Amino acid sequence: MKRAAPVLIVLALALLPLLGMEPRVYLTLTVAGLAMGMLIFLVASGLTLIFGLMDVLNFAHGALFSWGAYAGFGAVLLLDRRAGWIESPSVALNALALLAAVAAAALVALVLGVALERVIVRPVYGQHMFQILITLGASIVLEELIRIVWGPNDQVMPVPISFQGSWDLLDVIVLRVPVVAIGLGLAVYVGLQLLLHRTRVGLIVRAGVESGEMVQVMGHNIYRYFTAVFALGSALAAVGGLMWAIFRQSVSPGMGGEQLIFAFIVVIIGGLGSVTGSLIGALMVGLSYNYVAFLLPKAALGVNMALMVLVLLVRPTGLFGASR
Amino acid sequence: MTTPIASARRDERARRWRRPTLWLRLGVLALFVLVPVAVPSFQATDLAIKIALFGALVASYDVVIGYTGIVSFGHAMFFGFGAYSVALAVGRFGAPTYGHLLLGFGIAVLLSALVATLIGAFSLRVKLIFFAMITLAFAEFAGILAVQWSALSGGEDGLSPKMPGLFAVGWEGGRVLGVPLTGKLVTYYVVLAACAALFLVMARFVASPLGRALQAIRDNELRAEALGVPTFTLQIVSSSFASVVATIVGGCYVMWVRYVNPESALGVPLMLDVLLMVIIGGIGTLWGSVIGAAVLLTARLLLPDLRGLGTLLGGSEIAQRLTERWLLVFGVLFVLVVFFFPKGVLGTTRDALARRRRPA
Repeated sequence: MKRAAPVLIVLALALLPLLGMEPRVYLTLTVAGLAMGMLIFLVASGLTLIFGLMDVLNFAHGALFSWGAYAGFGAVLLLDRRAGWIESPSVALNALALLAAVAAAALVALVLGVALERVIVRPVYGQHMFQILITLGASIVLEELIRIVWGPNDQVMPVPISFQGSWDLLDVIVLRVPVVAIGLGLAVYVGLQLLLHRTRVGLIVRAGVESGEMVQVMGHNIYRYFTAVFALGSALAAVGGLMWAIFRQSVSPGMGGEQLIFAFIVVIIGGLGSVTGSLIGALMVGLSYNYVAFLLPKAALGVNMALMVLVLLVRPTGLFGASR
Repeated sequence: MTTPIASARRDERARRWRRPTLWLRLGVLALFVLVPVAVPSFQATDLAIKIALFGALVASYDVVIGYTGIVSFGHAMFFGFGAYSVALAVGRFGAPTYGHLLLGFGIAVLLSALVATLIGAFSLRVKLIFFAMITLAFAEFAGILAVQWSALSGGEDGLSPKMPGLFAVGWEGGRVLGVPLTGKLVTYYVVLAACAALFLVMARFVASPLGRALQAIRDNELRAEALGVPTFTLQIVSSSFASVVATIVGGCYVMWVRYVNPESALGVPLMLDVLLMVIIGGIGTLWGSVIGAAVLLTARLLLPDLRGLGTLLGGSEIAQRLTERWLLVFGVLFVLVVFFFPKGVLGTTRDALARRRRPA
């Protein structure tokens, strides 16, 4: 019962706005909110791994988000110019282009993640203040590098034709990109849960978080696992960035910074180290933002803050956070 | 009977006037006093007072991050509270008077103390690292609010209030010792005096028994708590105190600049500057903040002149962008400083001096 409480709260919260609007509008907003929540979850899940699990305060997460968006943007641009996969009416080619963009984003972020962890994060494990300072410096550098390579201005993100536009299901407008995002988010959630709780690697990582020395003694190189987890978290941030860029149809060097705050809020709401928590947290943030933006446009800005304050007042460790 | 501590204090007091650092500090202060008289260029005066202002702001941040060990990202927000509050109080009610100025400072101080206590009360309770993120979120929110609520705050354009009486732009007071007395000059000295006073207060604060307790919390929170130090309360006291100082500095900033907008007074970019300054100067040194502020502000003033280098480097587009993005250089520098001189300029110097005095 106690574990079900957060889910019940989310459901109650989700149904509350029905009092103030027509069901049709409500459904549209709900789909949009779910999509936004899933997009935020993609970013937050990476942060859950890095911050929640490994206890590294990674302020470069937002820069990795931007790098993912730009890497995908570069890949899509290349495919469009060389092969015309974006403009082509074939769904298969469009999907392939999207996959290529996701792969490019993930690959770039994996490389960046390994480099970041090896060079600047490893010396400061366990020292929060230095983690903050040093990842902040890294994020400045990464963001400036984007400005140097791709230019400092916002650019339009080309979206494959098949994924543009929307479906109209019984008068409910369903945009196509969000559906892809929701699917991707769910896949990431299931994948992460399986990886962490059903595989040997997940077991070693979770044990390593509890006691790195003990796992070392058992003959596993915990640092190698941590590098991998950091890289995985970076890749998730990058894929989140790419999806966000496709959703907004634009890329800008500073896009990661704004999302970083969302992601932190979500991880705090959900509780450190809980993938389920960050999923629920992300959905809460996404849904409440959309409802409030419709009902009281002015208040939408503060709703995430209010949500975070409320959750922390009731449960200081977040919805699914273990008290430690 | 004299306890060892009492006799150590007596020795300390006897040596008070022979300490070289005291004369160094007084010398720096004298330099600040002389700048507007000796160097009549506006740019130099502006730089000097901004170094003093940011030095005080960064020192107040150092009280939180360096002496208490709490990482806050909302410190710039309190600076903004002061700046906006003074700008609004002076600019919104017709002709500005000293009363309005005081009112602005008063409201700002109360507001900052309240907000800082509230934020601390619900976020320091859990885990120190939450504080960083929660204050970041609050600062972001305050920035958005200032941009959106343009009826009150002037939005992106900001506010440019007129200052009352002696501080007004047009005020002239004849000549004193051959130096023309203007509103700008009066403002300079008043703001400088305020900054110096704030520095004294902060130095007293961190050297007090309370400050000692804060440093104990920073070094080992569990042990401090076990020794009976009310850690939670003291952390709130420290962050509220620093926030109030930042607010007063913000008000002084507006008195000098006569302009405030979200980007320059409230936002995350300002916070980044403050962080850089405190790192460069040295965390936990208080006086290092003046060095940090001087280095960063001077660099900012001079570095844009380096843009011409782009044409020297062949003039290609990448080279052009490379020199335009001096923040990149700064980021790299920042990481290197954190890595190799984690104690900053002053901390490293102190260590080197201590090593020379006592060869190991």
